[in-house]
Amino acid sequence: MTLGLPGHLARDSQSRALANAGHAAAYTCLGIGVVLCGVMATIGGRPERWNVALLLIIMVVLLTLVARYPTVTLTVLYLIVGAGIVLAITIMIMPDGEFPTTSNAALALPATALLLVGGAGSGSAIAVTWTTLGFALSEAAAFLGVVIAGSVYSPNLAVCFAFAIVVIVRVFDGVTRRFDMRRETGLHRASQQTRELAIRHDYELRATARLHDTALSHLVAIAAAGSGPVDERLRVGIRQDLGLIVGRDWAIDHALGNDGSTGTTALRSFAPPAGASSSTPPGATARGGRASGWRGRARANGMATDPRTPVEETVPSLSHAFSAAANAGLDVRVTGDFSVLATLGPRRVAALDAAVAQCLINVARHAGVDQAELALGLGGGEVTVAVMDSGVGFDESEVPPDRIGLRTSIRARIEQEQGTVRLWSTKGIGTTIVLTVPEGGE
Amino acid sequence: MSGHLRLTPQEADPIGAISASPIVTVGSILAFLLATGLTWSHRSEVGSPLAAGIALVLVAAAGAAAVIASSPARAPFTNERLWIIVTLAVGGAIAEYVSTIGNNRQLSDDFGPTVIGMLILALAPFCTWVSLALAGVLSAAVLSILVIGASMYASSEAPIAALITLNSAPVLAMSAAAAGYSYGIVAETLAWQREANRAALQRDAELRAGIARSVQQSRVSVLGREVLPFLAGVMTAERISVADADRARELAEALRRALRAGIESTWLDDLAMNIRMNRGVDTIIDDPTGAAAALTADQRSALTALISWLGDASRSQLIRVAFTGAGDGDGHGDIVLVSDSGASPPSRRELDRFVAVARAVALRADATLTRENVTVGLSYDID
Repeated sequence: MTLGLPGHLARDSQSRALANAGHAAAYTCLGIGVVLCGVMATIGGRPERWNVALLLIIMVVLLTLVARYPTVTLTVLYLIVGAGIVLAITIMIMPDGEFPTTSNAALALPATALLLVGGAGSGSAIAVTWTTLGFALSEAAAFLGVVIAGSVYSPNLAVCFAFAIVVIVRVFDGVTRRFDMRRETGLHRASQQTRELAIRHDYELRATARLHDTALSHLVAIAAAGSGPVDERLRVGIRQDLGLIVGRDWAIDHALGNDGSTGTTALRSFAPPAGASSSTPPGATARGGRASGWRGRARANGMATDPRTPVEETVPSLSHAFSAAANAGLDVRVTGDFSVLATLGPRRVAALDAAVAQCLINVARHAGVDQAELALGLGGGEVTVAVMDSGVGFDESEVPPDRIGLRTSIRARIEQEQGTVRLWSTKGIGTTIVLTVPEGGE
Repeated sequence: MSGHLRLTPQEADPIGAISASPIVTVGSILAFLLATGLTWSHRSEVGSPLAAGIALVLVAAAGAAAVIASSPARAPFTNERLWIIVTLAVGGAIAEYVSTIGNNRQLSDDFGPTVIGMLILALAPFCTWVSLALAGVLSAAVLSILVIGASMYASSEAPIAALITLNSAPVLAMSAAAAGYSYGIVAETLAWQREANRAALQRDAELRAGIARSVQQSRVSVLGREVLPFLAGVMTAERISVADADRARELAEALRRALRAGIESTWLDDLAMNIRMNRGVDTIIDDPTGAAAALTADQRSALTALISWLGDASRSQLIRVAFTGAGDGDGHGDIVLVSDSGASPPSRRELDRFVAVARAVALRADATLTRENVTVGLSYDID
């Protein structure tokens, strides 16, 4: 939703709305005129008034045409035919002597409808011009009418009043727009800016979470290891994870991944050493390496299929999670079918993948077991992934606040995709984390 | 269609309604002058000067009520206000009828229908087209009863039905114009909004790619540029030194802090940072629960517009925005925005614009302005 009208459209919109207002009033005048003729023709005993009603109906038809197609031709046609009708009505009603002068309500109705033509073009000046033409023509027609039929001409006060109102409103509209209040308030710029800020914030958060997921465990491991030779498993883990982020702008991966899910399914390649790739311009390798971590091969220890057999390439999997588990030396048993992930958008799969990876890392790090179970299911419009272990268990409220892996990497990611995270843990029995995300998503 | 029924032009386009508010003053003054002029012109028919005086006072009261009710500081205009104004104006018409009772030779010089019509027309930018049309029809109905009473003494020989039809023409025509304007401008605005939203969605993809690149410059990327080479260094090294371990600890801390700051901050913190960096106005956001994220898109736009406008070095030296009450669970939250005025402090009139916009997006708003600072209190409902 965007507030209000932007400055460049305000003029035309305002002009059309005012013309619309004029047409509504003109229809009312003509309608009242027809009703009045009907009353006079029936109750008033003047059946010749039906002729006036017919002329007014012709004006209604022409007005509808002008309102629908505000062209110069139709506007001029309406003004000329309308003036003719005012003339005809003047000739019809004035000789009766019912009205002493042409300043009467019966003539005011068609004459007012004539000046409320609205007309072609937009802007105050052109509108005032059409209105003035309508006003002048109707008065001229009334004057000509009394010259022909013989009566007294007097400027129609009601029509003058209507003319004055239209001119005041149009002039007011033109003058206020000059103050250019819209630009001053900057509502539209603000609206775009907030949109951009929200997207930027979303990206920043995801970029941080990504960095956190991939780098933090290694940093902690290095800090904990202290001085000494580099552990081979740590080395492999770093190599693996650097491949995910270095030399590739992951955020652009997502942006591009949104527009075409039929993109290449190149498998993730390991990055060159970071020193070289960090100087690579952002995005330069993004297209080539548009590997999208969610579409690799499922690699899991203990999976029923031979890990070397490629899984159907178009079926998304939790490749990042399995890599994380493999690096942590965790044996993952899988129940369920990965094809349920195909109901999710790539970004949602990526979020789920990262969250499951974090769950498995937590199992490897804290549960004290080297085995975890993963169950996937689809039901009720939601994809559910359960991560279970029979480790030491813990109490979520006792987790120190600095350990934000569960709260942010898992919960924030899943909640960002409108999903939920539920956790059951009992000390000594084990932990089950159930991640649920709705089908679809980006 | 339902949107056209529910929305007033003011809600659809709050700035348009603010620009339109002087027309109410113009309309009210003209209505009063017209009532006075017509009363004077048929003074020979006035039997009760007191009633005629009351009629003019009621018209003036209706006009004053319209001006007060439609002022930007009292936005948004509610339906009840329309009814109060119309009732006062109809009261004026009744008093006029009483003042000339038994003596009214000409109905066409009575001001009632025209004055009511003018007031309804002037209020068109503030009401839904349905209430405007309804106000016109109901006033016409009341006036018709007066016409029946007056027709007994009128000089015209026309049938009563014809008199009623003619007499209600001004109020019906003008309220039709008001309804036509209200419907037209809301339809135009909504059509544009649909178009704009479509365009915004299309632009989002490009925006996302652009932002994804610029995130490279953000604090996360700066951190990333330190962390990644470090890890790469460890990966290719033979041994981890004590310095490496310390550095790893530092970086891990920094990373945690960045993530926590990222989670706890909202778009508003980013806006504040923008204003601080680009315009040099210190902008402090106190939003411990991240309540800014719960505002609707329109509310965010209104707040952004206000903060960006105040965040001009000449208008303010310092802006503080505090969110309270969001976590209380009592269904509403409050935002207090205080800015210390700069060299050319904002005027009340300018500020009212933003207050009116805020009110249009379901933020209850109050602004107080002193020589030293501007305080805007906003309150919103939490679903």
